[in-house]
Amino acid sequence: MAQLVQALVLGILIGGVYALMASGLTLIFGVMRIINIAQGAFLILVATVTWYLWRETGIDPILASVITTPMMFGLGWVLYRTVVSRIRGQSASMSVLLTFGIALVIEGILNVTSGNKFRSATPAYFEQSFTIGSIHLPKPQVYGFLAAVVVLSGLYVILTRTWTGRAIRATSQNPSAAALVGVSATGTAALAFALGAASSGVGGSILSVLYPFFPASHYDWISRLLGIVVLGGLGSLPGAMVGALVLGLAETLTATYGSLRWSTLVFYLVIMVVLLVRPQGLFGARLREDGVAA
Amino acid sequence: MSARPFPVPGRPAGPDRPATRRRRRLGAVALGVVAVLTLAACGSRPSEQATSSSKPLVIGISLPLTGDFSQPGGEARRGYEIWQKQVNDKGGLLGRQVQLKIVDDASNQDTVVSDYTKLITQDKVDLVLGTFSSLLNYPASAVAEKNQMAYVEPAGGAPNMFTRGFTYLFFAQPATAPHQADVFVNYIKTLPADQRPKTAAYPTQDDPFAAPVIESMEKQLSALGVKTVYSQTYPADTTNFQSIASQLSAKKPDLIAQGAVFEDGVGLVRSLKQLNYSPKMLFQTSAPSNAGQYSSAIGTENTEGVFYTVSWSQDAKTPQNAEFVKDYQAAYKGADPAEDAADAFATAQVLQEAVTKVGSIDQTKIRDWLHSNEVQTILGPLSWTDKGEPRGQFILAQWQSNKVEVVAPPEVATTQTVVNPKPDWK
Repeated sequence: MAQLVQALVLGILIGGVYALMASGLTLIFGVMRIINIAQGAFLILVATVTWYLWRETGIDPILASVITTPMMFGLGWVLYRTVVSRIRGQSASMSVLLTFGIALVIEGILNVTSGNKFRSATPAYFEQSFTIGSIHLPKPQVYGFLAAVVVLSGLYVILTRTWTGRAIRATSQNPSAAALVGVSATGTAALAFALGAASSGVGGSILSVLYPFFPASHYDWISRLLGIVVLGGLGSLPGAMVGALVLGLAETLTATYGSLRWSTLVFYLVIMVVLLVRPQGLFGARLREDGVAA
Repeated sequence: MSARPFPVPGRPAGPDRPATRRRRRLGAVALGVVAVLTLAACGSRPSEQATSSSKPLVIGISLPLTGDFSQPGGEARRGYEIWQKQVNDKGGLLGRQVQLKIVDDASNQDTVVSDYTKLITQDKVDLVLGTFSSLLNYPASAVAEKNQMAYVEPAGGAPNMFTRGFTYLFFAQPATAPHQADVFVNYIKTLPADQRPKTAAYPTQDDPFAAPVIESMEKQLSALGVKTVYSQTYPADTTNFQSIASQLSAKKPDLIAQGAVFEDGVGLVRSLKQLNYSPKMLFQTSAPSNAGQYSSAIGTENTEGVFYTVSWSQDAKTPQNAEFVKDYQAAYKGADPAEDAADAFATAQVLQEAVTKVGSIDQTKIRDWLHSNEVQTILGPLSWTDKGEPRGQFILAQWQSNKVEVVAPPEVATTQTVVNPKPDWK
């Protein structure tokens, strides 16, 4: 019993952090139909900046997101205005190429500036845990999960309670109608891209504590994040959360009860089964293009 | 690191007689093997070209300078370049200055094949040196074999490398993966019975360089009477180790021997510490050899007593080792060389020795010389079986007081002290 609770709790903690990392990816896709392959590189960029901040100033890495979040918001805005906006209205595959290019540029810059080696922020609590009965809750995982909950709630409030958020959702649901009622398509898209990038501010900070990283680590992360948002339904924030929890639980439950070998396989098996039954993912909306193709 | 599927074996290449070449070409088409491989067979060999002593001697190398293996790939490049500088400062090879033509294969198997094919058949380099990792050396060595180029490589010790009957392939480390653990097992054998571990757990990454080490160790230790309480392989993209750690802490093995590449080694130690379970002995394959990166990732005080096996040690009294370390530190702002850089340096030493002794770049003579001679390198003496497998043994190292010490084999040990049992986490 304790073993099961331990696996469930760990799975939820891990899933929460994954959900935060995937939220930016799904947000950007939802509004712009852009698959942002650079989201993984954003995370590694933030993790690297966080590591330097932590080492030079001693600031807590997760708190450092107060600095990295605005930084990523700015970077996202600038990237959208200068580069990404040029492929607006083009096919999704174009966005994959472009953002993959951005990811490679970030990886290259990190390679040259910070060197090609593993880093990991190790604040005092990084290898401690809370103990409740026989259940162990690793402290960094708990803090990361809490930060993820705060950011995801914040995103949810922005999207549902503010004019800006409604504009973003309106644009994602029906761009022409949104434009007709006075929502600036370009401004909203830039904002969504910037918000998506900003979400990696906290995600990357947590990553720097939880997992060792080096410039090329972003390939692993983007493939994991894509799996999550495809399972949840591209463009859906609740979908990303559920997808992330499924991945977290698949990892811990297979590791506890089955063979570790299967942990990755189980997750992708779940994706395949879900896609067979619901091609748009768990929470995804069918796009008009899908209807035409069908 | 991400998934590293093991490559589909290509057809073994034999001597390049026209009949076998034609048959192989048909086979390649039938198998759908990359077409460039076949084209490679048509190019003329560089040793057939006229050479003049004023022209630099060009050595072609493809390395994973970007992508998954960019970290070790970059170190290998440094090792090769330091060797190049040392050789050129001493008048070059065969009286010619050595020029390295290094290209990037982006850690990709297809690219590494086209890289070596181009280096050999179009750029017509004089010699080649190997790339990094079994994953990339597997297809790359097939290109070299097909073109009958001596292929000495620094990091491809997976067992499958040597089952293809290649004769131009040489692995320039002291032992292949299944024999890396031998030195640790030998150390256990020297312990009195009451100090030996009674139970052991063997988690390993599904990695062609880590898993065979752990599998072989499990087999050898079981034979010694050490009971296996846990044996699991986890995928290369595993990032969370808490579940593994809770299972291990429930089984309380005396020895945990992990096939750890890097992140996984760090991840497991952190998770064990979070659960406050400290085994009496901890062995990890390569993670602890990334000196500064390992100790800063798990906390320096937690490294005490961790064992690992390694092909090279900075303090080893092997010929030219001190010179290599000094030049490396001078070139890279005082940084200590990584094992990958040392392996690459030794690889180049092997080729240098063979070329010098043969007195030409005749690839077949170089191959034959290497099959029947021993070469002194910074890793110690290296010699090979007819399949290109090395016959030596690895070094057993241990973290002691924030520093790495060599504890076995005795002739290269830097200390007589061995920390056993490992102290609790700090």
